[in-house]
Amino acid sequence: MATRPRSLRIRAYQVGFGDCFLLTFRYSRSKRNVLIDFGSTGRPKRSKPLDEIALQIAEECDWKLHGLVATHRHKDHISGFATRKNGDGPGDIIARCKPEVVIQPWTEDPRAARDAIRPTGLYGRRGRRFVSSLDSMQDVAGAIARLSSTLPNLSKGLRRRLEFIGGNNIANRSAVENLIKLGDRADARFVYYGRSSGLKLPGVRTRVLGPPTLKQTDTIRRQRSRDEDEFWHLRALGLDASAANLAKKSPRVLFPRAEQYRHTPVWARWIENRLQEMNGDSLMQIVRTLDHQLNNTSVILLFTVGDSSVLFPGDAQIENWSHALSKPHIQELLKGVNVYKVGHHGSLNATPRSLWNLFEHRKGKVSERMHSVVSTMGGKHGSRRADTEVPRETLVEALKEETHYLTTQAIRSTKNNFRDIEIDFRTGEIEQIVHRG
Amino acid sequence: MTESPRTRTLTVIAQDPSFRDSNGRIVLEEVAVPAERLWPGPMGHRVHVIDYDATTDTLYKSAKAAIDVDPYAKYLVRGNVDRLIKDPQFHQQNVYAIVMETLGRFEYALGRRVPWGFAKGSHQIKVVPHAFEDANAFYSRNDEALLFGYFTGASGVTVFSCLSRDVVVHEATHALLDGLRNRFLYPSSPDQAAFHEGFSDVVALLSVFRLPRVLDVALGTRIYGKSARVQPQKLTHENLRGSVLLKLAEQMGQELAGVRGHALRQSLQLKPPVDLEAKEFLQAHRRGEVFVAAMLNAFVGVWVSRLKELATHRSGGLDRDRVIEEGVEAADRLLHAAIRAIDYCPPVDLTFGDYLSALLTADSFISPDDHKYRFRQVLRHHFEEFSITPESEGTPIEPGIWREAPRELSYDAVHFDSMQYDTDEVFRFVWENRHQLDLNDEAYTFVQSVVPCFRVDLDGFIVRETVAEYVQILHLKGSELNTAKMKRVGIRKPADMPGDEHVPLYGGGTLVFNEYGRLKFHIYNPVLGKRQAQRVNYLWRHGALRRSSGESFEQFHRARSIDLPGQSGEQW
Repeated sequence: MATRPRSLRIRAYQVGFGDCFLLTFRYSRSKRNVLIDFGSTGRPKRSKPLDEIALQIAEECDWKLHGLVATHRHKDHISGFATRKNGDGPGDIIARCKPEVVIQPWTEDPRAARDAIRPTGLYGRRGRRFVSSLDSMQDVAGAIARLSSTLPNLSKGLRRRLEFIGGNNIANRSAVENLIKLGDRADARFVYYGRSSGLKLPGVRTRVLGPPTLKQTDTIRRQRSRDEDEFWHLRALGLDASAANLAKKSPRVLFPRAEQYRHTPVWARWIENRLQEMNGDSLMQIVRTLDHQLNNTSVILLFTVGDSSVLFPGDAQIENWSHALSKPHIQELLKGVNVYKVGHHGSLNATPRSLWNLFEHRKGKVSERMHSVVSTMGGKHGSRRADTEVPRETLVEALKEETHYLTTQAIRSTKNNFRDIEIDFRTGEIEQIVHRG
Repeated sequence: MTESPRTRTLTVIAQDPSFRDSNGRIVLEEVAVPAERLWPGPMGHRVHVIDYDATTDTLYKSAKAAIDVDPYAKYLVRGNVDRLIKDPQFHQQNVYAIVMETLGRFEYALGRRVPWGFAKGSHQIKVVPHAFEDANAFYSRNDEALLFGYFTGASGVTVFSCLSRDVVVHEATHALLDGLRNRFLYPSSPDQAAFHEGFSDVVALLSVFRLPRVLDVALGTRIYGKSARVQPQKLTHENLRGSVLLKLAEQMGQELAGVRGHALRQSLQLKPPVDLEAKEFLQAHRRGEVFVAAMLNAFVGVWVSRLKELATHRSGGLDRDRVIEEGVEAADRLLHAAIRAIDYCPPVDLTFGDYLSALLTADSFISPDDHKYRFRQVLRHHFEEFSITPESEGTPIEPGIWREAPRELSYDAVHFDSMQYDTDEVFRFVWENRHQLDLNDEAYTFVQSVVPCFRVDLDGFIVRETVAEYVQILHLKGSELNTAKMKRVGIRKPADMPGDEHVPLYGGGTLVFNEYGRLKFHIYNPVLGKRQAQRVNYLWRHGALRRSSGESFEQFHRARSIDLPGQSGEQW
């Protein structure tokens, strides 16, 4: 086999609001396939279901995956790995592709779980505590998603957003278990900044730029070391208990013996309505915080072949990026990115400006300009009124203006439900290919 | 006819339910509030407690009878105080009394009624002691309310933010500051974003230190007899700061850190110098902690200097009660000056340096003779330690205070009486003197408020002053920032700002008129000036230029409680 791939094809599938990328490194006599994420939380009407896409992927890679990456555990990134009892789920099909290496963030390592029998020393007490708080957060998100349909006086938009974001954060047990099983059968890599990815791609340097471990940086935990034993843990527990209460059909009344009004008196109506609305907003904030926390466990991968490099950051936000961005040699590497998978479906905070400003192939000559690819679906996440819509208009404008922009939103055909970016490593040329028919 | 009393006392929890004396009893305190005609709620002329829980959709009833006699006074000396935690009507009284006391403290310091900052000008703020199940508490201007959450703590016990004195005072202070300077919530500089939070922390903490029982507990177990004295060597700055206040920080409900952050502890841990330009301190809540640290150090500094004065007269240690008394006095004086200083702050684009000058100016009127405790010198010293220097050079005798207003002003067109309450009349004064006052001719200008202040002068006479605020606004396009005129004042369009970007510029000033209607101080930030250049760059860099208002306190407090590093400058 040649020591260096001739080309790379990045195939972006239409999965609606989610990510699914198949990377095919072509060598002179062979090819190697890496699947990065496979999940969705909402698809357009004219799109293929996930099991059909799984079959497409399997056929495209000749039923052989050399690597599988689940950047983080959000539904829109891993729901395609879920299995069915009858064995024909999308995750069952992917399993038949026998991935050689299964890459997940260190936070998914079962040895770091809260029910770990023995301390491994690998993650330490803090690491296990952090992972346990992620579990708790998903329980909270689940409770809030369920609650959103019963809360009184919520606007339609807020109710829809609560359901969506809460649902995306619910633990995907089947997918998670399948990923563990796939890892058991292969080389399971629970990676962090600087760790080897384990991918066997001759001539390709694969660097893991994130997530950092708690030791590498405290920022990902959004909790400084000065309070390391207190807050997230307590909060997670507090939220656990609160969520358990919230999730009940009739939440526990605080003072059951105290006298209560049966009907709202006139003087209390205005504030009562306002508070009910605000309660919905508060739940939204909580679940959004949890959403960010999980996004920040995303695996960030930088593939480099010669002078060309391709960046896949999952849904990482600045807290995840901070560690890598603090390293001058990483900053140098990021300057040369030729293809950028836009973080978190184009949301306002997953393309940190300090990262964006590093890219040197923005603007400039059209032929040398970098490419960007985003897998997204408008109208699902955030709100335009609050400047939180996904994809964020201002970001899309910049991407269109300064890069060759490719979005899965433009895919409206169920037959040709993908777009390709081809990189020729011999010439350095990059081309976007739209399949019609 | 007998005159009815002006105030009544109500029992409240001194700090929070975890703050207990050596017998394990929750420490209670009595606070004085106006003796007003209350309706059930309690509902008074400025505060209406509505006990509605949105999580469970429950509206609790309040005590039917008006609170003429404090029903909980007996618990001050005996009884199972823990029972009060399960009594929502005590919670209602607790928040009512603490909010009213805080309002009273502001009105006393400023010498006038202080309005809430609501758009509709409502007189009564709604206070909701059990608003929702959430580790959060906040002031909401749009809802005209202070909202306190509750949550299940790590030990499985319900934690009530409405029972924490510092949390209640903190939120009430946000509301009061908003009533006094509503533009402090607008996006401006990192200092202004940090000030609302830092100032609310300072008022909350000083309100706690003002309570003798709290300082008594913080000083450690009281053993009567010989140990009722405290050795002077234990009353050093380092010891009071590192031991007494830290002990207090540890005793304040730790689980409530989820609501209030760790203002006291974090500020005590901050060691000068700090680099205010470092990324960490550009985050509003971290920057606010620097402000709190400077004020706390000043408090301890004043306490120590007062104790030194005592030590020269006594031997064999200091009387413990005097130590406490001096601490209470120090907290009280600093609190008084801190609140009064708001009247000497510019209405827009506040910096810590502005506030320090305002604080020094306010104190120079409260206590012109600073010879004994050198209070202002202590203030300057502790702020300078944290790289905060007064905005004004001051005078040789009083460094750092605001300079007096120019004398060459025209009063010909205005009437003395109207100038004390009429915004149109003050606008006329501003208009006639716009060049002497350095106003921009092209900017939209309006007088936002005119309020009279009654203060007791040193000779015991009542002094009537007037404080007015005016605001100037210029709406420009990005391309208009690159003109020669802008260049002269240091304003440049950020390189990546589109030419058609809407850029609102704000300026404004505070006018303090003396009892004869003559302008005493003009404290202002011009709409076109060096600070404006910094503001535009900062807001553009942080994506906040397009926002018409700052982050809500709900979001801000949540971010603070979990120490969110923030996305500032990174978002789209």
